[in-house]
Amino acid sequence: MANVKLHKVGKVYEGPGGSQVRAVEAVDLAIADGEFCVLVGPSGCGKSTTLRMIAGLEEISEGTLEIDGARVNDLPAKDRDIAFVFQNYALYPHLTVAQNIAFGLETRRAHRSALVAALSGAGAARAEESAKIDARVAEVSRTLGLDALLARFPRELSGGQRQRVAVGRAIARDPKVFLFDEPLSNLDARLRIETRTELRMLHRRLRATIVYVTHDQEEAMTLADRLVVMHKGKVQQNAGPQECYERPANRFVAGFIGTPPMNIVDGRLANGAFGANGVHAPMPTRVSDRACALGFRPDRVRLAAPNSAGSVAATIAAVERLGDRTDIALDSAWGRIVARIDADLATGAREGDAVGFTFDAAHAHLFEAGECGARISV
Amino acid sequence: MKRSPLANAILWFVLIMGTAAFVFPLWWMTVVSLETPERAGAAITGSGGVVLVPPSPQFHNYLDAIRETGSKPWMGFVDALANSIVVTVLVVLGTVISSSLVGYAFARLRFRGSRALFLVMLGTMMLPGQVTMIPLFLVFRQFGWIDTLMPLVVPAFFGNAFFIFMYRQFIAQIPESLVEAARVDGLGHLAIWWRIVLPLCRPVTAICAVFTFIGTWNDFLAPLIYLHSDEKSTLAVALNGFKNQYGGLDDVHLLMALSVLTMIPCIVLFIAAQKTFVEGLARGAVKG
Repeated sequence: MANVKLHKVGKVYEGPGGSQVRAVEAVDLAIADGEFCVLVGPSGCGKSTTLRMIAGLEEISEGTLEIDGARVNDLPAKDRDIAFVFQNYALYPHLTVAQNIAFGLETRRAHRSALVAALSGAGAARAEESAKIDARVAEVSRTLGLDALLARFPRELSGGQRQRVAVGRAIARDPKVFLFDEPLSNLDARLRIETRTELRMLHRRLRATIVYVTHDQEEAMTLADRLVVMHKGKVQQNAGPQECYERPANRFVAGFIGTPPMNIVDGRLANGAFGANGVHAPMPTRVSDRACALGFRPDRVRLAAPNSAGSVAATIAAVERLGDRTDIALDSAWGRIVARIDADLATGAREGDAVGFTFDAAHAHLFEAGECGARISV
Repeated sequence: MKRSPLANAILWFVLIMGTAAFVFPLWWMTVVSLETPERAGAAITGSGGVVLVPPSPQFHNYLDAIRETGSKPWMGFVDALANSIVVTVLVVLGTVISSSLVGYAFARLRFRGSRALFLVMLGTMMLPGQVTMIPLFLVFRQFGWIDTLMPLVVPAFFGNAFFIFMYRQFIAQIPESLVEAARVDGLGHLAIWWRIVLPLCRPVTAICAVFTFIGTWNDFLAPLIYLHSDEKSTLAVALNGFKNQYGGLDDVHLLMALSVLTMIPCIVLFIAAQKTFVEGLARGAVKG
């Protein structure tokens, strides 16, 4: 296993007519040995490109990449000792499951050709290698519960099974670093959650260094030791998942992490109150008066009687009952606000009702104005 | 869909007539190959009428034909057969290897001028073979390759524009991630081509191999141009030896017998490869 360091890594594509498109910009990242690092962001944020640069499938335009302290910028993919799990699994269709898992081992063996080995008197050494590979394939397939499928071809497998073979192919080689590119996005919702848990357990068992790319923030939160939120080619926040949730570094992270997303309102802070569109609510803070954005999570919103003191007037636009909790979408002067409340507090909520809402100011966030406005300490 | 009996009858009639039109020449060739020399001669001048079953099949015609091929008894046939096999096998191998390799490069490697080169290559398909015949002959004469098998075999190893195009189109459909997975697994381009791309191209390879086989096996013009001595000739050219010095035919029954023998490998190969053709079409159809 190994650590991975990115220092000011960037990717520039040559566009038509000599124009340049910057897909990834100055990414600094230090991934420790055995860490599960998740790159997350909306599509086009540069996360996959970053992963592919680590893999060596994409050239690094700027900066340096180190694996285990050695600069590997110019090392071809095959010499970086990494394993890559593709979104579409990329299983070799003409090979069986066993051959797929063994493929990376076969290409790396010292005695590739049976004939050459036999002629040069290395037949015994080759046989020993083959036995080792077989044993490794057996071990990996046992770990992943693929024993019964070894003789099958990829086309004869279900999506979940293919996904496990892809993981098996990666772990068979015991690489320094595992790279996953949205490996669960082709699975149905239920299987995705199951496989997510399995991946997490596998990581515990292997103590592997993993870099994992996903656009699904929930998947990112549950898997990550370290969460790297990306947007427009830049790292927005690099921290533990809980910290990203509780103390988002900027407005983008705040809106991206957490479901339903955080309510964010553009307005002005003045005299201990936050106001937007002429509607004010108390917001005790030491921050000086300024234009900023206020953020509060849906589970920090409470419904109140219409026109009650300190509340913002709203109309219920939609009620979504989830069983134990209920999501209520509110239309107000602050725009669309989502409240997530206990189901038994929402039994009376009807679409079209006039209500008011308050938010928990102690758990509210303030951000500078702008799309990626930085967090302001409350 | 249920057809009316009349529509069915018409359909069957058309199909049967079509089949008859294609099968009749083959059948008739076989019939003549089994006739006596006199009856065979009469058959091709038309004076014997059309006979669908020979009254007394002369199976020894086939042995006679083999003996009489070329100028040396028995060995003439053996030489021609050996030459045909050597040329055909090498040309098929050469065409498959070079065309798939070049097709892979055009489909997967990004290099300066690849598009222009591809267009130039496609352009060569528009040139009729007759145009390049004489320049090629002069080039091969410079090499001292006249009356050797080289001019027949070597060009195959430099690709065939049509098959390169077919391979390129097929390889372009193979997901990029398969090639990337192979790169991560430690393969270079040559190994990716050999271990990943070529096995996946089986349907194209079957078409390329069978068409090249049939084309080369039956090729008459190129061997006729480049080969002069008897022991270098291929089967297709050896057949021509049954013509007498005036261009007429004395031994039609033997010519027909050897023609039937010459055709057998093509028919066997086509039947054997049929499954792969169909598989290729079906796979293309269901690929999501």
